[in-house]
Amino acid sequence: MKTFSFILVLLITVVLGNVVSIPMGPAPPVAPLLDPNHGFWQNMYSEDQLAEENIQLEGLSAPVKVAYDENLIPHIFAENEEDLYRVQGYVTAQHRLWQMEFQTMAAAGRISEIVGPVALELDRMTRRKGLAYGAELGYEFVKETNPEMLELLEAYADGVNQYIESLNDARLPVEYKILNYRPENWSSFKSLLLLKYMSDMLVGDRDLEFSNLRKILGEQKLDVLFPEFPEENDPVIEAERIWDFEPVSVVPPLENSYPNDELVIDPLPQPEEGVGSNNWAVSGSKTKSGNPILANDPHLSLNLPSLWYSMQLSTPEHRVKGATLPGALGVISGFNEHIAWGVTNATKDARDWYKITFEDDSRKSYRYGEEWREANHRIEEIKVKGQDSFFDTVVYTHYGPVVYDHSFRSDRQDVNFALKWTAHMGSNEQLTFIKLNKAQNHADYNEALNHYTAPAQNFVFASVSGDIAMRIQGKFPVKWKGQGKFFMDGADPQMEWQAFIPNEHNPSTLNPDRGFVSSANQHPVDPSYPYYVFDNSYEHYRNRRLNNRLREMNSITIDQMKELQFDDYYLHAAEALPVMLDLLGNQELDDKASTYLAELESWDYYADPNQKAPTLFYIWWSKTFNQVWGEWRSWAVPVVLPNNYQTVKLMANTPSSEFFNYEGTEKVETARDHVRAGFMEMVEAMREWEEQEGDYTWANYKRTSIQHLVPQFRPFSVENVYTGGGRGILNATSERHGASWRMVVELGNPIQAFGIYPGGQSGNPGSKFYANFISKWANGDYLNFNLRSEDQEENLLFQTTFTN
Amino acid sequence: MKFLVYLFLATALVLILNPFIPFWGVMIGLGVLALLLKPGGAAAFFGGGFGMGIAWMGLAFYLTAETGSSLPDKMAQLFGLGNGTLLLLATGFLGFLLGSFSSWSGQLLRNVFKRKPENIYMG
Repeated sequence: MKTFSFILVLLITVVLGNVVSIPMGPAPPVAPLLDPNHGFWQNMYSEDQLAEENIQLEGLSAPVKVAYDENLIPHIFAENEEDLYRVQGYVTAQHRLWQMEFQTMAAAGRISEIVGPVALELDRMTRRKGLAYGAELGYEFVKETNPEMLELLEAYADGVNQYIESLNDARLPVEYKILNYRPENWSSFKSLLLLKYMSDMLVGDRDLEFSNLRKILGEQKLDVLFPEFPEENDPVIEAERIWDFEPVSVVPPLENSYPNDELVIDPLPQPEEGVGSNNWAVSGSKTKSGNPILANDPHLSLNLPSLWYSMQLSTPEHRVKGATLPGALGVISGFNEHIAWGVTNATKDARDWYKITFEDDSRKSYRYGEEWREANHRIEEIKVKGQDSFFDTVVYTHYGPVVYDHSFRSDRQDVNFALKWTAHMGSNEQLTFIKLNKAQNHADYNEALNHYTAPAQNFVFASVSGDIAMRIQGKFPVKWKGQGKFFMDGADPQMEWQAFIPNEHNPSTLNPDRGFVSSANQHPVDPSYPYYVFDNSYEHYRNRRLNNRLREMNSITIDQMKELQFDDYYLHAAEALPVMLDLLGNQELDDKASTYLAELESWDYYADPNQKAPTLFYIWWSKTFNQVWGEWRSWAVPVVLPNNYQTVKLMANTPSSEFFNYEGTEKVETARDHVRAGFMEMVEAMREWEEQEGDYTWANYKRTSIQHLVPQFRPFSVENVYTGGGRGILNATSERHGASWRMVVELGNPIQAFGIYPGGQSGNPGSKFYANFISKWANGDYLNFNLRSEDQEENLLFQTTFTN
Repeated sequence: MKFLVYLFLATALVLILNPFIPFWGVMIGLGVLALLLKPGGAAAFFGGGFGMGIAWMGLAFYLTAETGSSLPDKMAQLFGLGNGTLLLLATGFLGFLLGSFSSWSGQLLRNVFKRKPENIYMG
């Protein structure tokens, strides 16, 4: 009896112990999570409470001091670069380990390993786009061309790995505890992969949609709706710039023979509209102090932990401060004692698609001119949590990977399209940033940029010596007019990219007469630039607002530049609303509708958070836009719609244009019909909103949210941030996108710098440094970002010394 | 009295050992403690249970008070538990469950080895 009761109770105990240590469906093992000694309760500590005065780090050649300011921004003081990056790796991992690993897992197409089969489609797509393939080529390239760079990458990786080894269960980031996995080792390959991930985030193409439109509308109509340059072109490089070089020429094909398929393929996801950036620099002639001022605010998806991590990196030779990308070496957007620089996306149709004709179903060879070329097969093993691995065969041609085929995003056996992308060409972007970190003048900046391939960026520059500059840098193929706008025939060698634009022909300017340089993702150049330039995603509003303001401003102060980054002027509304009100005309309206109309009529076109009119305009415009292009949606093939700018132009200039008429109806529709229908729909939508939500001021309608990288972890997100701005506005803060980093630097003596990002230095949702910058960011406030010296004592949170 | 002593020792054992070993190590520790001290069935069960429960809930409460972090509320929302206080209670309850059965198992094992008193009246 005693034995029996012992065995029974022991059994219960063992079962109990077992049940609480295994995952329950998607939920993690409950005991390790709740155990207050090792589980999530330990993640409540903020970094200052865990501060250590000394940390041992193997491989250092001299002690390295790290001073954390009151915002937990680390300032690293090392004797040489290898020590510097080793400690950068360690410190970044201390605060952002889970994020840096998760992002590289995403870039490698390995999310299914962590979350299971829900991510399989996503991983397949990532693999088929060849991000890891690109990073492998990048790794080989660095190894061959710049072994010293590889040593620094290895030092960084070693710093991360020494931190991972020192981790106990208590200190493990809480996301690992919830998702129930552990960090693996970091490597230099992963740092390169991260930069590929940025390429993927920033680069899109509409070749598929344009191919369909070309077939449906014909090329003539296409040119009307999608002109290659807008009427009011205000390009990155001032239009007055004279191009004084002989361009590299390419041979256009004898006749344009694009494949004429109507393609019902599910297109690859595109970078979100609203992903973009602003940067500018004004010369001393336009500032109050006589010093150049530089500003940069990259707009990306707003996430927690934040994409950016602030740092100062110092050796006896240089001190650089700004925003780093966790996982990459050096500062990405920042300044040092001599210069400041910043980046905005400069996409220029960097991805092209080629139709591949395989010899047979084995897909071992494909037609190229008169011959059959051999294809490579790369087997991708995608590990899936809780299931067997998924094996995907991706065929590689000399163009690149065959992304679309019968097993992916297409039902048709004969559909095979290969992706050609500059991200698949060996390159060393990391070197550009390391060199920029140490650059002292315009020549150093130019030299650093020569190593940069993708994703193409507008690099703004200003120096203490008084120079301002802008250069659009990336590896750009020389294209004949129209090349790569549509899907091309891969069997026709005439369709190949034939040459690349030499770096010195990339658009650039130094100290232009107008006294400023600027970019906001608009067209890079004026039509006089001798190379073919095309992309569908160029901005039409922020650039004009920015340049108009910079042209009229004089005796500029650093505060005015901060205000300009936070400028809520809604240029699209200012241009569209008068046209819409005019087309609406005098209508019989009920009380509600009259109120809305009166609010719109008295609006000053600022999308401030407390305004009501931006909400009304935003809804009225989207309803009208949908009305105008409504018939296109019924075609049931992917197409791209004309942009807001062209649509407004069409409504204003030719309200009776054939494009406004629905072919399927007897009536002849004009712009007026769509504007009126849009207005009625807006009134209806607003009535519903007011009934359900009440307040329709802009911030309350827009509901900017800063989402945790795992969207399901909603309590780790910050929602309904009270802030203005929106798409196409300088303060580009929309629902999910916006200024992911704001920096303003005055290059005087000493340099004055300010920065802010919507997040916090800590990646730990339990830390008080996790989201502490958000309210400041939402108000348009900044943190002091001045360079610190090693012996500076004020505003210190704590200091750590790393020794071997 | 024996219960209070055992409760005290069990709590101390969890507080001292747990920072260095995972929860299952503590469960074994509590079993061994009961085996050695033979507090009796009820004392073992409730002493071990409240010992681990108090140690866990107490530490979780202490950490919350010390750090002022909002993480418990966030975690509670994530797992659909309402608020951090409930999560604190859940932690204590889980500690109780694990501690009580571990400790009771130790006591019962001791009982198995305890020499059976022979029929003392009949000689």
